[in-house]
Amino acid sequence: MFLDSWSIALVICGLVVFFMMGFAARSAVRVLLYWDPDSDSGRQIKLENEIWLTSTLVECALGVQILSLTVFVLAADHFSGAIVGAMCATGSLLANDFGVPALTVKIGGVFLYGFWIVLHQLDIRSERYPLVRLKYIYLLTLLPLLVLDLSLGMMYIAGLEPDIITSCCAVVFGEAVGGGTNLFAGFSHFLSLLLLYGSTALLFILGGLLLAWRRIGLVVVFGGVWLWFFLLALVVITTLFSSYVYAMPFHKCPFCILKPEYYYIGFAIYGLLFTGAHLGMSVAVTEPLRQVVGLEEVTERFQRRATLWSLVLLALFTAVSSWHYLRYLLLGGQG
Amino acid sequence: MSVLARHLNILDHTLSSLWRRRLKNLSVLLVFAGVIFLIASFQLVTRALTETAEQALVAAPEITIQKMSAGRQVAVPLAYSEKLSGIFGIRRVVPRVWGYYFDEVSGANYTVLGLERDRMPASGQLDLVLDQGESPAPGRSGAALIGRSVQQGLERKGGSLLSLFRPDLSMVSFTVAGVFKEETDILTNDLIVLDIDDARDLFLVPEDVATDLCVYVANQREVPTIAKKIADALPDTRVVTRAQIRKTYQVVFGWRSGFASVCLLTALAAFVIFAWDKASGLSPEERREISILKLLGWETRDILAIRLWEGILVAGLAFVLGCTLAYIHVAFFGASLFRPVMVGWSVISPSLRLAPTVQLSQFLLIFCFSVLPYMAATVIPAWSCASVPAESALGGV
Repeated sequence: MFLDSWSIALVICGLVVFFMMGFAARSAVRVLLYWDPDSDSGRQIKLENEIWLTSTLVECALGVQILSLTVFVLAADHFSGAIVGAMCATGSLLANDFGVPALTVKIGGVFLYGFWIVLHQLDIRSERYPLVRLKYIYLLTLLPLLVLDLSLGMMYIAGLEPDIITSCCAVVFGEAVGGGTNLFAGFSHFLSLLLLYGSTALLFILGGLLLAWRRIGLVVVFGGVWLWFFLLALVVITTLFSSYVYAMPFHKCPFCILKPEYYYIGFAIYGLLFTGAHLGMSVAVTEPLRQVVGLEEVTERFQRRATLWSLVLLALFTAVSSWHYLRYLLLGGQG
Repeated sequence: MSVLARHLNILDHTLSSLWRRRLKNLSVLLVFAGVIFLIASFQLVTRALTETAEQALVAAPEITIQKMSAGRQVAVPLAYSEKLSGIFGIRRVVPRVWGYYFDEVSGANYTVLGLERDRMPASGQLDLVLDQGESPAPGRSGAALIGRSVQQGLERKGGSLLSLFRPDLSMVSFTVAGVFKEETDILTNDLIVLDIDDARDLFLVPEDVATDLCVYVANQREVPTIAKKIADALPDTRVVTRAQIRKTYQVVFGWRSGFASVCLLTALAAFVIFAWDKASGLSPEERREISILKLLGWETRDILAIRLWEGILVAGLAFVLGCTLAYIHVAFFGASLFRPVMVGWSVISPSLRLAPTVQLSQFLLIFCFSVLPYMAATVIPAWSCASVPAESALGGV
């Protein structure tokens, strides 16, 4: 289904990211080969200029990647109008083997590019750019992921078979009719709520401890719990909170909350969750940088800020995502 | 200085620098707005047509049965509806006789639809879509409901009776009982609704066949199962459900707009090259300005920020301008530039009133088509501007 505006938009997003990251990688190779902070040769000055280009390119690429994640989900929702048995994005993502992997790689990509930007921001705070080599090695390792992202997206679109009335005799009827397809099933309400709110409380405790009294072990646990919380929150939004947003017990879908019918609340929920989780995890990711000469203070300041902001976003996320559920309980519903 | 204050100052500088080079920037802005206008018009027309088609399908029968022979649609025997009596869940099976009537005077094809209105569920609501007159009593022969362009053809001929010719060239006349409203033009513009027996008489269709059978189903969830059973019971037929018609419309419109978008990509590519060229060609004054800023203590990243802000402002303005023009074009001028591509080019094409609903996702799509490639094209020239060395100002003075 390449000849659809949404498919073309996805391909354009993919190509723009690829183009920018390709250029960034070109500079990366040069920097890795010739970088010498002690030199004041013309080449070194040129390279120092080039790192601004690379960082701008990667920042733009991250923006496009976030956009393309949104476009991907909206495109899947749009395709559902043309695919047998698909009622919303869930159905069309499951329509072939590449939908869910493509989505996963895109989500992973957003986090990994984000970590690059954190590294870069820390690096430019120091006069000697101590992280240049690390940054560019990391950038080059991101390239295969990018190729994977682009190819999975293409294979997903290529594999979509639209359901149209053919001119031959009787039509074929798809098996799946209902929209109740669900990515995760079999979680009990009580258990998932307990886990989610338990993890939220744990994150607040860990964050509070980190702000007052920091230890390496604690930092790593904090990042790990954020990763766990991110995955858990995705599951709980899908299996539990979403049906309260739709006010339909059997409609459990992580994507329909992004639609205008529900006032785009999904964008707020996912935006808070992704940013919070990214900040929370980057606290752990940047921990080794505290050993780098010239970055001790900068890193620590960043970690404190990131911890604080991740907790603020966590509180907001909890409020926004639980809002429909709480309102239902307050209005006399039975949980 | 906080980040916000720094960016506000940079924005201030950017605005004044945009104004100083207003002719160059205006040319980019106008060309870009033109490209966005083309892309956005297509998207909005597609959206509006898909919605109109969906609204039109609300009243369509859940299942339509057509008999196929040698790959072509032929008349379906009425006896087939008896074969369906064993399938539970079918509320009613109603035959339809319809076809196209070529009017030699106007050179147009009218659609003639013969209905058994007393058996159709929503026939009582037919009066709601009539502009003049009222629908004749079911079964009354010799009366027709006509669309607006049929009425215009009739007025040009100057008669009050609708006179049509049978295939053997004998004439049959109908009184005009009512005219459809303008709002339903997409369906009714070229339509003539007759009683089923009148339509049979007009087309000389035998008593025991019909063009197709409409199946009404009580429970929507049972439609696919019932359709499957019908397809099994009547293997020589094509069974079409309403959901499939909707999906087909979406695919067709999506395909057409996708195809048009691919054609527009050439315009976009030309624009991207133009933007790249405009952004990378530095005039001596610009070079001097950048060098002086650097001598004053500005860093590469500040100048890069100016360039990026310039891009954002131009792209943002062009986006708003292009989308607004596209909306006006579609909503007030009926997308007159592109309608032939989307709806076809028959002699009477309905004078549609398209009302595109504005959805954020549409704008995201248009954004991806236009602003992203522009951004990719300007970021590298922006950097090469920003890395002009400070000492190059001295040479120009």
